[in-house]
Amino acid sequence: MSWRSIVGHKLRSTLTTLGVIIGVAAVIAFVTLGASLQADIVNTIAGNNQDVMYVSASSQTQGDIPQLGQGGQAVFTQYDTAQIRQIQGVQAAVPVGGIATAQVQYRNDSVGRQWVTVSRPQYFQLKGQRIVEGRSYRPGQREVVLNRPAARMFAENVTVGENITLVKAANGQPINATVVGIAEASQDGAGALTNGAQPSIYAPTDPFYERTVISPNTDEQQRVYSQILVSAVSIQEIEPTQGRIISYLTDRSDARVLKAEGYQFEVTTYDQLVDQIRQVSSTFTAYITGIAVISLVVGAIGIANIMLVSVTERTREIGIMKAVGAKRRDIMQLFLLEAILLGLFGSVFGALVGISGGYAATVLIDLPLRIRPLWFVVAVVVGPLVGVFAGLYPAWSASTVDPIDALRHE
Amino acid sequence: MDAHTDGEGSTEDAVVSLSGVYKVYELGEPVPVLDDVSLDVPRGSYTSIMGPSGSGKSTLLNLIGCLDTPTAGEIYIDGTNVTKLSDAERAMVRGEKIGFVFQTFNLMPRLTALENVAMPLSFRNVPREERTKRAKSLLADVGLADRVDHKPTELSGGQRQRVAVARALVNDPAIILADEPTGSLDSETSRQIMRLLEALYQRGNTILMVTHERDIAEHGERIVHVLDGEIERIEQLGESRRTPSVDEDAASAGEDAPEGEAWTS
Ligand SMILES: Nc1ncnc2c1ncn2[C@@H]1O[C@H](COP(=O)(O)OP(=O)(O)OP(=O)(O)O)[C@@H](O)[C@H]1O
Ligand SMILES: [Mg+2]
Repeated sequence: MSWRSIVGHKLRSTLTTLGVIIGVAAVIAFVTLGASLQADIVNTIAGNNQDVMYVSASSQTQGDIPQLGQGGQAVFTQYDTAQIRQIQGVQAAVPVGGIATAQVQYRNDSVGRQWVTVSRPQYFQLKGQRIVEGRSYRPGQREVVLNRPAARMFAENVTVGENITLVKAANGQPINATVVGIAEASQDGAGALTNGAQPSIYAPTDPFYERTVISPNTDEQQRVYSQILVSAVSIQEIEPTQGRIISYLTDRSDARVLKAEGYQFEVTTYDQLVDQIRQVSSTFTAYITGIAVISLVVGAIGIANIMLVSVTERTREIGIMKAVGAKRRDIMQLFLLEAILLGLFGSVFGALVGISGGYAATVLIDLPLRIRPLWFVVAVVVGPLVGVFAGLYPAWSASTVDPIDALRHE
Repeated sequence: MDAHTDGEGSTEDAVVSLSGVYKVYELGEPVPVLDDVSLDVPRGSYTSIMGPSGSGKSTLLNLIGCLDTPTAGEIYIDGTNVTKLSDAERAMVRGEKIGFVFQTFNLMPRLTALENVAMPLSFRNVPREERTKRAKSLLADVGLADRVDHKPTELSGGQRQRVAVARALVNDPAIILADEPTGSLDSETSRQIMRLLEALYQRGNTILMVTHERDIAEHGERIVHVLDGEIERIEQLGESRRTPSVDEDAASAGEDAPEGEAWTS
């Protein structure tokens, strides 16, 4: 009988459930979109090299997302790099440093203030950054690799095999270097999010990098770097290895002596980065959920409103039912069922609309589709709950209708 | 349809018994509507209630039908004192022992004739199959076998009232309460309904009917005259009671009543 009443008022029932439909649809669409976006970001950042971590020393006031080759104090000596390479669970470790240039020249054009990331040839492989043209640089050679944006930053595009001139900021000395490879756009941690399309220049430590210090452990003059890029033997090994690196650094390293007061060692993994992104996106989700709750409340009010109208309209019918033996509970059930059906209809329909919307959006901005089945279950449970919540008072007021008054009702 | 196994017509066996019933409405000052009413309705009897408008006939019937509760006094229905019952228990009595027929039919507009007749059973958790079976057979009894799937708006007034009578019978009630059952019908359709009630009476049902019209009231074995909330007198008709055109059985009243179909909507 509840069903008949809903079908009997198709337009009204649809409008009534619109609040629930929109609420549920919005949540499902945004959750799908959010999950897809997150999956895309995580893919971009972590890619296939989730076993990589960055060792750095930075003050706590610095942002928590590391910029490769930049920031942090240069405290890691060659000795430290060699020692870390020996640590159990470490597969490879390369030092990463940076050189500031005053100018970079190509043919007749020049670009000011570029940061050159210096490391070892394995750097690209470790980071999972592909070289799309040419090859990586060789140590000891005056060779550089540009990323795509860097290759395009001059008046004319740089191609593999040509020379560029780097003017060091420190002493104004020009160095000629051959471009031996073009790498895909940077994936320097959060750089992929914020400035992934920025030009980057990569060079071997030898002969470009000249920053040295006396290693406290060996008493030798050694190159010193701001970061070490480490890969673990497997993803499972990341956490224990992270711990072993930290304890090496704090107990025995050169860096421990060299680092400034107030600076702390950090071993950042992609896991942590991904966690941070997840945190951001769960804030987003909480926000959406808030909106959803509001629209569900509005939806519930809509259902309650129409149910109250319906109770008044059907007062006579209620009286008839009571006259032929309906108990309060029967009437209550009837109206509650109607409200629950309205809520259920709203949430199921809303979920379908939501997933279509989410799908359309992911196709439109070219994201991998990620569906959260849990949210469907939640939607389908929440719909009838909204119905119960909205229908409770109208159903109660229907059940307490006085049969004599109701039968007299026109 | 055999409502009573013990229905030998023993007048000592009252299906409905009222003693000292008062009904007072509080409207600023108390308005007495029923004033010390005592009445016994024997099992298997046919009783009419007459009286001027506002004399309290409907109020009396609603009290007997457990739709309302008396201000004072006792009402027994089929041996149960219903004045002390809870809301749910009174609903149960309505469902099990009372069959209502109203002047305005009071059918559910969105339900078909069949569903209307079957509805009271659904409140007693009778399985659907049995509900349908019983409703069908009752509709056939009142001559509406070919109208089971019609909505009330697709039926004539007389047909609607026959659906209402079928519905009143569906729970095999101890008593049928009819409040001006012919009040909205023309004289020919009224006659059909009276034939239907006569048939029910002949089969042993107890009927209590409120009416304005003397000739309708005369179908009962006796007429209870109500005036200003009091029973003025009880008139025994005995042999002089009116029986509707004996040549026709109520069971066939619908099937061969072309006159009634004249204003089928
Ligand atoms: N809810 C109520 N509140 C106050 N007074 C009421 C109420 N219901 C009925 N009455 C009064 O009770 C009296 C009897 O009403 P009732 O409906 O029983 O009359 P009736 O004999 O059936 O009249 P009619 O022949 O017109 O149907 C009337 O005077 C009416 O005004
Ligand atoms: Mg009346």
